[in-house]
Amino acid sequence: MARRSHHPLAPYAFLLPAMLVLGVFFVGSTAAVGWFSLTRYTAFEGPQFVGVHNYERVLTMERFWRCVLNSFTYLAVTPAIVVLSLLAAMTLEACVRARRWLSLLLFLPVVTPTIVGAFAWRLILSEDSGVFNAALAWAGFGPVPWLTQHPWTLVSAMLVTLWKGFGFYMMVFSAALLAVPAELKEAAAIDGATRASVFRHVTLPAIWPSVALVFVVSSISALKVFEELYVTVGGTPIESQTIVPLLYRVAFEEGQYGLASAIGVLLFLVILAFSLINSRVSTALRKGGRH
Amino acid sequence: MIHRRPPLLAAFWIACATVLVVIGVGPALWLLVISLQPAGANMTSPLHALDKGVTLDNFRQAWYGGDSAANTQPVLLRPLLNSVLVTFARALLNVLIAAAAAYPLARMKFRGRGTIFTLILGTMMIPEQVIVVPMFRTIVGMGLYDSLLAVVIPMSVTAFGVYLCRQAFLAIPDEMEEAARIDGAGSLRIWWSVVLPLSAPTLSTLALFSIIGSWSELLWPLIVLQSQENATLPVALNTLLGQFSTNVRAAYAGAVISLIPVVAVFFVSQKFFRSEMFAGAVKG
Repeated sequence: MARRSHHPLAPYAFLLPAMLVLGVFFVGSTAAVGWFSLTRYTAFEGPQFVGVHNYERVLTMERFWRCVLNSFTYLAVTPAIVVLSLLAAMTLEACVRARRWLSLLLFLPVVTPTIVGAFAWRLILSEDSGVFNAALAWAGFGPVPWLTQHPWTLVSAMLVTLWKGFGFYMMVFSAALLAVPAELKEAAAIDGATRASVFRHVTLPAIWPSVALVFVVSSISALKVFEELYVTVGGTPIESQTIVPLLYRVAFEEGQYGLASAIGVLLFLVILAFSLINSRVSTALRKGGRH
Repeated sequence: MIHRRPPLLAAFWIACATVLVVIGVGPALWLLVISLQPAGANMTSPLHALDKGVTLDNFRQAWYGGDSAANTQPVLLRPLLNSVLVTFARALLNVLIAAAAAYPLARMKFRGRGTIFTLILGTMMIPEQVIVVPMFRTIVGMGLYDSLLAVVIPMSVTAFGVYLCRQAFLAIPDEMEEAARIDGAGSLRIWWSVVLPLSAPTLSTLALFSIIGSWSELLWPLIVLQSQENATLPVALNTLLGQFSTNVRAAYAGAVISLIPVVAVFFVSQKFFRSEMFAGAVKG
């Protein structure tokens, strides 16, 4: 490493722009959200310290608990994402020659702006003129109120999340599958193992850390969901949506910055718990998988 | 290859691939089909969707914001230009600022290196959604509310970008840098003409991720932009959906217009789309 060759202040000069942006907007805002949550602060008056009053208000707010419940319901999208993206990654592995194009095509939903994806799904899920309800009618079922009635509205937004997300996690699994040593699989096959048992006893344990990681990462983004709900079912009552739409409503439509900050801090605590589980699980798995 | 694959299994994977492609591409393709339909065409059956022929009328309506002859101002042009500007500026800044920060972190010894790197990585733990209120207040305080700078500046660098660049810089052999230094190049010069060119693939991947992210972003622009002339495409589309409740096909046409550029960029730059990127990507 080049030790004495650079100017002693050079490293700090290189770091300055990044430190400024991250410091002001991320570190500074994190401190500020904690402070705001302890103040009465609205669009009309500056912050005044009120102790834990905002937290008391949030925790006794019925719509907050409804949204929390909906956020946890929304987590049901996670296993679906894991299964679909793992299946997609295995398909990529199996279709060797089409692999590149297949991965590009299946990545398209990730590239698609969420609002465009949400438009497409609104079209498909439209109650009187959508493909889904037409197919259901053809099969003899009545129309499903996908876009207007809780909990169908949650299901609809989850479909958008699943559609938009699986291509990304597919690539994660694909990288993990590529890293499974071929000799291991061949050795097992020579020993007479069937394909299913090679998958069960060789492949799955090898990619298990990635499965755990995708599980936690997609859970965290499910807790942070906003755009899918806002566009797909934005017109429905806030009680039928999740935490971030509630935060947006309270902050930017009602102008209650202090109250919204308290909601933000509570959401942060939940996400932090998930992140801690994430690092615990992945370190444990990395240690366990290395022999 | 383990042993020869039985034909049934091959058929299974082909079926899987087909179903996945239908799931992945189907919705956007259906959006395109519907936006090409004339009024009153079939919206429920893919087999009869184009029975009444195709028209560009919906695209015209979306672009001009209505179907009367009086509307000759292209209302989507401004949002399109805004989105291009914001996306380009953010990609450029993301690469430059992250690469600048990553250079000393990867290749210089100085006091506080470990602490600074940990602090930068720590910002990855903070979800943007949690801190939007103080971020919004900061933007207002800086006098940037309802300006494109408000969309660009806070997102002009990410910890993930710094991490990605640092990984790439760590892989550069010391001799390359030494040689340039012996030739009399300073740190800035080495960074610009040795380190950056050698890391071009990583920087391109970072730019690609940044482009995809900013082109799609809705929550933050919705918060800090207000006037129509500053709207980015997703914000304008959100308005369009309400505006065209009588002809939803026009709103869908608007969505297709905003989808085309990003898909084009993705396919043109697909060589920077590499599966190795995703092993580390989950950390963000």
